[in-house]
Amino acid sequence: MSFLEKFLKMVGTKFLDWSFEIGGMVLLAWEIFRNLLPPRMDGPETWRNFYRVGVKSFPIVVVTAMLTGAIMVIQSGMYIKQYGAYGLLGWGAGYSVLREVGPIMIGLMFSGRVGANNTAELGTMRVTDQVDALRALAIDPIRYLVMPRVLAMVVMLFLLVVIGDLTALIGGALTGEALLGVDSELFAWSIINYILLEDFTHGLIKALAFGYAIALISCHFGMRTSGGAVGVGRAVNASVVTSAIAIFVIDYFITYMAA
Amino acid sequence: MIEVKNVTKYHSGRPVLENISFRVPGGTNLGLIGPGGSGKTLLLKIICGLVEPDEGNSFIKGQQVQGLGLAELTKLRFDIGLLFQNYALFDYLNVTDNIAFPLRQAGKHSEEEILKMVQESLNKVDLPHIGHQYPNELSGGMKKRVGFARAVIPQPPIVLYDDPTAGLDPVTSSKIFLFLKAMKEERGVTSITISHDIEGIKDICDNFVLINRGRVVFYGSREEIENEKMPLVRQFWQGFSADTLG
Repeated sequence: MSFLEKFLKMVGTKFLDWSFEIGGMVLLAWEIFRNLLPPRMDGPETWRNFYRVGVKSFPIVVVTAMLTGAIMVIQSGMYIKQYGAYGLLGWGAGYSVLREVGPIMIGLMFSGRVGANNTAELGTMRVTDQVDALRALAIDPIRYLVMPRVLAMVVMLFLLVVIGDLTALIGGALTGEALLGVDSELFAWSIINYILLEDFTHGLIKALAFGYAIALISCHFGMRTSGGAVGVGRAVNASVVTSAIAIFVIDYFITYMAA
Repeated sequence: MIEVKNVTKYHSGRPVLENISFRVPGGTNLGLIGPGGSGKTLLLKIICGLVEPDEGNSFIKGQQVQGLGLAELTKLRFDIGLLFQNYALFDYLNVTDNIAFPLRQAGKHSEEEILKMVQESLNKVDLPHIGHQYPNELSGGMKKRVGFARAVIPQPPIVLYDDPTAGLDPVTSSKIFLFLKAMKEERGVTSITISHDIEGIKDICDNFVLINRGRVVFYGSREEIENEKMPLVRQFWQGFSADTLG
């Protein structure tokens, strides 16, 4: 086989692999949509996922967001000091946190923690026949396993971003006061006067989109896992990488459309 | 009651099941035997519609399984119990919740009735005090018995047992075989039993299918298999180890 043939074969194989994955995700998205009208999902399993996805992610999101807010203030602190524009510190930190950094950081954290965990759990269930056991017990795995996870991930990422945004602003205010001597009231005044509601909702729209993308991708790779423990590892890896790419692609398009 | 017609399944272009056909009349138990890796578990999954064959069909109560929509397939599966080879217990549920799972999903019984039925099932499989434990706290044999209890608790008219006694001690194995026998005789359950314990299934099965390398090499009654002259069948049935099988 010549080099050109090998190259074409590799490109063709990659193209088919990606088409297969994207096709699988489109089909899963359709199944999710079908199960939404009317909503069909298991109650206890839904609550279990809300707890697992949301409540257990709360501490790590609070810590990450607090530090993110603080870092934004430290980064902009040099210029704020240089120009004496202390009244703009809240706006500078808030604008970037609410529109970009908050949703992206929390989204990536959520993808690494919840998305990976979700893929691993579904993947393990798949390779140990638990998904087949559900089907054998006349239970639709999409309704029982996927729907509660999708709902929990979309709702909880939205709420975590709301909490994360507020925590980041608190972190920014505390850092501004401690390192730059900017009064918290001035920081709050800057946010209230310069930040628009649209800046906040822009980030929340991203949170909804990221939540759905992470849920869809992690469930897809989990439900398609094969090949034992090695297969689970591969699926988790693919899920985390694809989710991260999806977060940036979605972010680009939402930002572009809103510009 | 159960029929398999010309089922063929390929894996990576190679047939792993080839033109498999047999019938299981209502109220009888068919023993599905053969060397490991001969496609028995795959065949069981094809029969209940968990895996699609590449050719051929399976029929449950006269209804063709392949080509059924999700709703019809779900309805059909209420009539089938399946005991998995590797238990397939739900890790995040304790033993009581695992066994109660199909009853709760069906929504036909009160919680009080469900808990009573679960306790009765646990008593039957000799595990009366492990309801609060999780699958990762159980031995392989205990998991098998819990899986067995979960498969039969909805009282399906058809049960497919994938190696129900694998990993069990001889005493528990014989108890399980007695339970299988009672399921057939008292409740008229139609079943297929995969087992490597030839001595154990001799007495509980009416007919036997021997699969080797994805092909049916024998299909007949106990009397016929005992009188069969084919070396492979004799070798497997009597447990000779002089030559490699097949």
